[in-house]
Amino acid sequence: MGRKKKKQLKPWCWYCNRDFDDEKILIQHQKAKHFKCHICHKKLYTGPGLAIHCMQVHKETIDAVPNAIPGRTDIELEIYGMEGIPEKDMDERRRLLEQKTQAESQKKKQQEDSDEYDDDDSAASTSFQPQPVQPQQGYIPPMAQPGLPPVPGAPGMPPGIPPLMPGVPPLMPGMPPVMPGMPPGLHHQRKYTQSFCGENIMMPMGGMMPPGPGIPPLMPGMPPGMPPPVPRPGIPPMTQAQAVSAPGILNRPPAPTATVPAPQPPVTKPLFPSAGQAQAAVQGPVGTDFKPLNSTPATTTEPPKPTFPAYTQSTASTTSTTNSTAAKPAASITSKPATLTTTSATSKLIHPDEDISLEERRAQLPKYQRNLPRPGQAPIGNPPVGPIGGMMPPQPGIPQQQGMRPPMPPHGQYGGHHQGMPGYLPGAMPPYGQGPPMVPPYQGGPPRPPMGMRPPVMSQGGRY
Amino acid sequence: MHTGPVLDVCWSDDGSKVFTASCDKTAKMWDLNSNQAIQIAQEGVAYREVAVLCVEASPPSLNACHLSDTTVVEFPHDAPVKTIHWIKAPNYSCVMTGSWDKTLKFWDTRSSNPMMVLQLPERCYCADMIYPMAVVATAERGLIVYQLENQPSEFRRIESPLKHQHRCVAIFKDKQNKPTGFALGSIEGRVAIHYINPPNPAKDNFTFKCHRSNGTNTSAPQDIYAVNGIAFHPVHGTLATVGSDGRFSFWDKDARTKLKTSEQLDQPISACCFNHNGNIFAYASSYDWSKGHEFYNPQKKNYIFLRNAAEELKPRNKK
Repeated sequence: MGRKKKKQLKPWCWYCNRDFDDEKILIQHQKAKHFKCHICHKKLYTGPGLAIHCMQVHKETIDAVPNAIPGRTDIELEIYGMEGIPEKDMDERRRLLEQKTQAESQKKKQQEDSDEYDDDDSAASTSFQPQPVQPQQGYIPPMAQPGLPPVPGAPGMPPGIPPLMPGVPPLMPGMPPVMPGMPPGLHHQRKYTQSFCGENIMMPMGGMMPPGPGIPPLMPGMPPGMPPPVPRPGIPPMTQAQAVSAPGILNRPPAPTATVPAPQPPVTKPLFPSAGQAQAAVQGPVGTDFKPLNSTPATTTEPPKPTFPAYTQSTASTTSTTNSTAAKPAASITSKPATLTTTSATSKLIHPDEDISLEERRAQLPKYQRNLPRPGQAPIGNPPVGPIGGMMPPQPGIPQQQGMRPPMPPHGQYGGHHQGMPGYLPGAMPPYGQGPPMVPPYQGGPPRPPMGMRPPVMSQGGRY
Repeated sequence: MHTGPVLDVCWSDDGSKVFTASCDKTAKMWDLNSNQAIQIAQEGVAYREVAVLCVEASPPSLNACHLSDTTVVEFPHDAPVKTIHWIKAPNYSCVMTGSWDKTLKFWDTRSSNPMMVLQLPERCYCADMIYPMAVVATAERGLIVYQLENQPSEFRRIESPLKHQHRCVAIFKDKQNKPTGFALGSIEGRVAIHYINPPNPAKDNFTFKCHRSNGTNTSAPQDIYAVNGIAFHPVHGTLATVGSDGRFSFWDKDARTKLKTSEQLDQPISACCFNHNGNIFAYASSYDWSKGHEFYNPQKKNYIFLRNAAEELKPRNKK
């Protein structure tokens, strides 16, 4: 980046973390997005100015800055362009930028290599790395280890590994001092790189990370062996950097967002950014129009550490049970508007909280549970059902089962039959893997006429 | 017969067989005699070579009508089967099933042993297939593209362009009628248009918001609904999305504009599909459990609507 001198290098908006080329543009942005009165659309100059205007002119109080990310909505802070930004936020931003640039430079390096490597097995194999990947990210900042990546180890590595080996030992001796520091980090890596030559290698690698000095010597040796491995791991575009210190050997560039995603040939991108369930939150005012949200500037994706500004909060959804580690905004290509952001969490997802699909949710209902154990018997159904008229052919077989079959009361024949539930063993069938809330078994629950939900489709008559 | 809800249905390319995927962990192939096949059409289930409406019906209903000689072949999985597609390649034909047991299995219809099993990173939530490309979206925002030439193999795993749970996916074709990308919908009222090999990814790929309430009114919280289904018009290349908010919308992804939004139905719209020539747009209105079981009202009827789609989905002219 040019002119180191500038405050944060590039002017950025404290309220929404967006970057701008020029301070003037930044100010225009602030006036239009954050300091604009929602009643009369007058543009003010500062947050407090807006508050005062609303109070005096419209007799309305406003307690949060519009379109600001959660945590940055303070209406009392007087910020104008880059002035007035609290020191700690500045520092945070600087740190973020640093990480990002390092990541970028590494990523670039890797990218070149990756072209050669394209694929072949990649795919499936690699990875399944749900979380492990993240931790690594955080690591990069301290070191720029271009050559190191090797660790990632994707399965594809094996061929590349041997070359690596020789190079490693030499380093070892130098490492010991470092090692101790590594353990925690190592752990992460191990998970991630599965097949990577077994732990041995890992160790050394790990050790290397921290000590910048130790590395260089290694590097040169590596390259021959490395390139292949490098791309492999697939740059998890995770912009995350979960703070994890993880000795990220992987210098996986946390991905500068935008680039990543799809376009990249290196298949191996581990995808699963732990499901950012980031909650929806901030969703800009509808605008159902297509808005090419390419704006990446958004950057919002960048802020690895801080809670993902745009995405945090949110009411609803997903507690992302699975993903513990911070959700990461996942560098998406077209990042979400993020920038749009409504005034803090004024939107909610109409969706049950657990991060399972709606069908899975339904499958957990007692009504469907009973089917599970049956599977063995399921085949029963097959026999040609002569009469069919929509009758559940399986019926014949079913009654035996527990007399519960009712679920398919066709057309009212069974009318209120659905009470069939009764016999049902509460909690018996484990939902498909989702532990969660089994809907309190009908105990008293509303009778669920089994068919109710299905689109009739077939039915002649059906309302099934 | 299935003993659990049927989650997906698909035709064989010659229309003589129907494949069904169900929560009872199996997918089945039903051989139909011609009479019964016609009946399906009348019910409004759009038929094309591949997937049809995602029919969620309790088992008996769909199959019941058509059983006469039932040659049933089962395709078992370890968990409910969520998607099913019929693949017709020059050198093979098979059924592709995606399941919550994290596998994608390919079946020769003559046997109950899969021809091939591919592992998925997570439970399969939705899939689409237009030869030679298939896309599967899984839980935890996984997204994988497969290439089906010669034999199915994983082509690329893609970082999801969306930040929320994937709900539906549909492949679109380019002007030469080759599949070139897909649209992915999430539970957060958003659809991502993603090209597999675009000249300029940052510009060509984008996402748009849809199925949300409260357009400009910022004072009330905005409700964001899941996108339950996406379908592309076979001729115009424009797309339709249906959501939990009970509306459907038509969009032109090349002009990046919306063509139409419908009025709101009183129940969510759970699935949609076009018929083979794009003249009919079918969509199903039924509860999708997006508000939990409290809102489930068994009294409400489920419907499938057919709409004349010949005019409304014409692409907008680029300005």
